[in-house]
Amino acid sequence: MIEDRATADGLEPGVVEAVTAPKGPGKSRWVVAGVLLLLLLIAPLLRPYIGSYNYYILLATNVLMWITMASSWNILGGYAGYISLGHAVFLGVGGYVAAVPLYYYQVSPFFTAVVGGLAAVALGTVAGFITLRTRGPAFIISTIALLFMFLLIFENVDYLGGTAGLPLPSIPLPQDWMKAPFYYAMLLAAVGSIVLSYQVAHSKFGLGLRAIAEDETKAEVAGVPTRFYKILAFALSAFWIGFVGAMWGYSLAFVRPTLFFTVAISAQMVLMAIIGGRGTVAGPVIGAVLIYAVNEFSIVQFGSSEINIVIVGVLLVTVLLFFPFGIVGTLRQRGWLPAFLDWD
Amino acid sequence: MTELVQVMIFGLLLGGVYALFASGLTVAFGVMRIVNLAHAVFIVAAAYVAFFAFDKLGIDPLLSVLFIMPLFFIAGVGLYLLLFTRIEGSPRFVEMTVLLTFGVAIMIEGLLGWRFTGIFRQATPSYLTDAFFIGDLIVPTGQFFAAMLSFVLLSGLWAFLRYTRIGYGIRATMQNRAAAQLVGVNVRRVSAISFGISAALAGASGALMSYLFPFFPFRHWQWIAILLALVVLGGMGSLKGAVIGALLLGMASSLVGNYVGIGWGPMAFYAALFGILLIRPRGLFGKEVAA
Repeated sequence: MIEDRATADGLEPGVVEAVTAPKGPGKSRWVVAGVLLLLLLIAPLLRPYIGSYNYYILLATNVLMWITMASSWNILGGYAGYISLGHAVFLGVGGYVAAVPLYYYQVSPFFTAVVGGLAAVALGTVAGFITLRTRGPAFIISTIALLFMFLLIFENVDYLGGTAGLPLPSIPLPQDWMKAPFYYAMLLAAVGSIVLSYQVAHSKFGLGLRAIAEDETKAEVAGVPTRFYKILAFALSAFWIGFVGAMWGYSLAFVRPTLFFTVAISAQMVLMAIIGGRGTVAGPVIGAVLIYAVNEFSIVQFGSSEINIVIVGVLLVTVLLFFPFGIVGTLRQRGWLPAFLDWD
Repeated sequence: MTELVQVMIFGLLLGGVYALFASGLTVAFGVMRIVNLAHAVFIVAAAYVAFFAFDKLGIDPLLSVLFIMPLFFIAGVGLYLLLFTRIEGSPRFVEMTVLLTFGVAIMIEGLLGWRFTGIFRQATPSYLTDAFFIGDLIVPTGQFFAAMLSFVLLSGLWAFLRYTRIGYGIRATMQNRAAAQLVGVNVRRVSAISFGISAALAGASGALMSYLFPFFPFRHWQWIAILLALVVLGGMGSLKGAVIGALLLGMASSLVGNYVGIGWGPMAFYAALFGILLIRPRGLFGKEVAA
C-alpha cells in the first residue's frame, strides 16, 4: 500500500509522510482527537437535553462497535495484506464466552468481556498457525471455512443452546440508564482498537507487516520473521472483536449462532476497511461511520434489509474498481488529506 | 455392513453432484486465476430459474439444463468482460478477484432476497421421492439422475477440453498463461469463454440443486464454504483433484452425518481442509499457489 502511494508521487514513503504531515498540523490532529473523545465521553450524560436519546445512543454504540471491528480487521487485512473473510468468528466466540457464564452462573459480561477478548486471541493464534501456512486465495478460503466450522459447532452443541442460542437476562439497571454502560464499553473498545492500530502502524512490527504485504518473500529474505509476525497480527486483530462480541450479546439479551457467525458481519468489516482505506489508521474509522450511515439511511428509506445488502455489494465492487486505496488513500494520493485524518 | 455400503452409496451419489458444483469453480481458477466467491450464488440463482420453470411452466429440472446453461454462459461471458478485463495485469489480481466476486455475491444475494424473499424453495418432480433397489440397497431415483447428469456433463467438459481447438487453448492457458499467449492463444477470448463455461456449469448445478437441496438466497454461503474446501483439498485449479475430492468428501460427510449426527456432516469438509493445510498446503493434486 505504502509503495503504491509513494511511487504514485515518485517519492520514497518517508518523504511522502514529511510532505503531507508537516509539524504544525501534526499537533492539531491530537487536539481534534482529544476534543472528539471528550465530547463522546460526556454525550450520554446529556440525557435530559436530547430528544430520542435511546435511538441516538444505540446508534452511537453500534458505530463504535463497527469502528472497533473495522480497525481490528485492518491490522491483518490492511497492514499485513492478508484478507480475512472469517473475522466474525471472533465476535461469536467473544459473545459466547461471556454469554455462557451469564446464562448458567449469572456472571456479568462486564467482567468476562476481557476473557472473551482473550479467547478470541487464543483462537486467532491457533487458527493463524494453521491458515497462515497458505497465502493469497487459499488463506482467504480457509478463513471462510473457519467461520462456517464454528457456525456448525455452535449450532450443534446443546450446552450452547444449539441453533436457538441462549436467551440472556438484561442488564439490572433502571430503564433510562440501561444503554449507557454498553456505550462506554464500546467507546473503550473503539479507542483501544484505534490506539492498538496506531501503535502497530508506528512500530517495527507494523513495518514488518507492511513489508509482508508488499512482497512476503523479499520481507523474509530481509530478515522479517514473517510467520511470527503474521500469527501475531492475526491474534492481535482478534482481541477487541472478541471484547465487543461479549458486549453485543449482552446488549441484545441473546446470542444465536446465525447472528454472530455470519459472513455478512465479516463482509461489513472488509467493506468498511476497504472503503475507508486499507492499511491506514483513520481509514477503517471513516469507513465504519460512512457505511453504518448508509445502512441506516437505506433501512429508513427502503425499509428492507435486502436492498441494503445490494447497496453494500455495489459499493464494494465500485470502490475496488475505481478507488482501490479507499477514501484516505485516494485523498492522500491527491494531496487533499486533511491533517487531522493523517495518522500514519 | 449393509448399512455401511448403503451410506457409501448415498455418499457417492452426493459426491457426484458436488463434483459438478465444484467443477465450474475449478475451471475459473485454473484458467483465469479467478477465485469466484459468487459461484454458489450463481448456482442458487440458477436453482430459482429451474424452480420457477418447473413451478409455473412444468418444465422438468433435468430438462431445464438445456436452456439454463446457454443463459448462464452468456451471463458469465458478460460478467467477465464487464468486471475482470478491468483488473487484468493488476499486481494483486487473485486477491482482487476474491474481493470483487465477494461484492458480486453480496449483490446477487441481495437481489434474490429482495425478489424472492428468504423462504425455502424446492422443486418437486415426480422422481424426487422415488427409489429403486439393487439387492438390499436403496438408490434414490432423483439423486441417481443427478449423479448421472453430472457424470455426462463432466465427461462432456473433459472431451471438450481434450479434443476441441478452444479446449486446447483453455488447457494451454491453464498450464502457462504467458506461454499460451506467446504461441498465439487469444488469452482474453479463452478467458471469457472459460468464465462462460464456468457459469454454465453453475447453471446446470442449480438445476440439480432446485430439487435436491432446499434453497434460499442466503444459503449460498454455506455452499461456497463447502465447495471451496473441496477445491482446496483437491488442489486449486485441478479438475481431476476437484472430482476426486468431491467423491471422497461426499462419502466422508455422508459417513459423518450417519454415525456422528446429521448436523455434523459438513464438518468433514472443514476438517479435511484444515487437515490438508497442516500436512500439504498445496492440496492433493495442486501446484503451489502464489499470492
